[in-house]
Amino acid sequence: MELKRVVITGLGVVSPLGKGVKALTDGIAQNKSAVVAMPDWTVYKGLRSLVAAPAKVDGEKEIPRQFRRSMGNMSIFAVQAAQEALADAALSQEVVTGGRMGCIIGSTMGGSNSLSEAFDLITPNKDISLITSMKFFQCVSHTAALNVAQFLGIKGVTMATSAACASSIQALGASYDLIRLGRQDAMLCGGAEELHPTVTGSFDILFATSAGYNDKPDCTPRPFDKNRDGLVCGDGAGILVLESYEHAKARGAKIYAEVTGYSTLCSGLHISQSSKEALAVCIREALAAAQVEAKDIDYINAHATATLQGDTEEAQAIKDIFGDTTPVSSLKGYIGHTLGASGTIELAAVIEMMHQDTIYPTRNLETVDPACEGIYHVTKPVAKKINTVLKNSFALGGLNAAVVIRKI
Amino acid sequence: MTEADAKRMVNEVFTESFEIEPARLVPEAHIFNDLGLDSLDIVDLVVALQKKFSVTIRNDERVRNIRTLGDIHNFIIALGQEGQLDKKA
Repeated sequence: MELKRVVITGLGVVSPLGKGVKALTDGIAQNKSAVVAMPDWTVYKGLRSLVAAPAKVDGEKEIPRQFRRSMGNMSIFAVQAAQEALADAALSQEVVTGGRMGCIIGSTMGGSNSLSEAFDLITPNKDISLITSMKFFQCVSHTAALNVAQFLGIKGVTMATSAACASSIQALGASYDLIRLGRQDAMLCGGAEELHPTVTGSFDILFATSAGYNDKPDCTPRPFDKNRDGLVCGDGAGILVLESYEHAKARGAKIYAEVTGYSTLCSGLHISQSSKEALAVCIREALAAAQVEAKDIDYINAHATATLQGDTEEAQAIKDIFGDTTPVSSLKGYIGHTLGASGTIELAAVIEMMHQDTIYPTRNLETVDPACEGIYHVTKPVAKKINTVLKNSFALGGLNAAVVIRKI
Repeated sequence: MTEADAKRMVNEVFTESFEIEPARLVPEAHIFNDLGLDSLDIVDLVVALQKKFSVTIRNDERVRNIRTLGDIHNFIIALGQEGQLDKKA
């Protein structure tokens, strides 16, 4: 069976830098940081990291109450990003609702605010009588996927990837496979996430968060920098429209890029620590699937969250495969780590970078950590033709995902 | 609690939880056909009324017979007359 080619035809984002792809890319171009102090979080005992990159909930009343009632923040972000992506792709209502279009949207753990509210109501008196019927739909792992599909009337494959910070690239990869195999003509795919102190707290317990810059939030996170001290959680949604090349060509769609290679795998070595060997295998598999060699990659958009161990392992994996000639940058310094949404939010920005022929640098990277040396760190904007890109996403649990896209 | 208080607080539930404009909150309004609620909203209406009036009505058989906003007003007023409503409410 001949596999179909898969292209990206729509982009939609709600990010800590604002609503819409343009707000994200303009903010990055202007070297803005979306990281702010979170003084309200001081009530949480033991929480060291008091910084975050929150996306603003805005315009949610435009979603009718009958649909909005089952949505927490992450689903609102996902719906708004999906609307932007669909408008960008100019897909007809018939395609969206015809059953040949699906929806895969991942997240780390579903609606964290709604989960917290539910436990706050239940646990003091072991009483479930104050739980509304909507709490389930706001909490579950597939909350963003179900809400986007119901709101848009999508009738195709609808599911949620749950792979923490690799969720959205896994969603893209699963969607890519469904289209390649001919199971669907088009997919909405990506990730959504919502900020909550318990989310930051779960990383803080592992000493993976930034806690040394609470008084100067725009100086963190610092991917690959010798003074980095961990990640900063953010939220939002990044949704892409994928469709088969034939489907896109037949309707005269604008094509941003082709998805040419994808891999996801588990290190099988350690539940929290990244492994440069596993990262390298994942990257090599994605390159092989794309039928390209390391020298063909014009830019690597790193996962690099600014954790001590993760950045080192990723830099070493990149060094082993690419040496120091392929430009590498991370976007976490602008928007924090949007966790399950990070892969596709960042990929949307990367696609804009491909069309601007500009590589934006790693914000807050001032002095490269010796452990992260040996790769081409981009520390100021670089004008360059970018035809083929590698995007990495890694996650707790030893999960890795990598995707290769190219302009056509 | 006066009957007027009960009606006002019931109407507040509809504006706060279901975003229904006060002008539409007439006693004869059918909660499905006129106010646009559905079966899931009814579950949440019961929760909101329980919270508003600090009362447990989930298993009260009379809930099943409610059709209009006026039915809810009368049901809550009856609960008050039976002494079931929290005095603080």
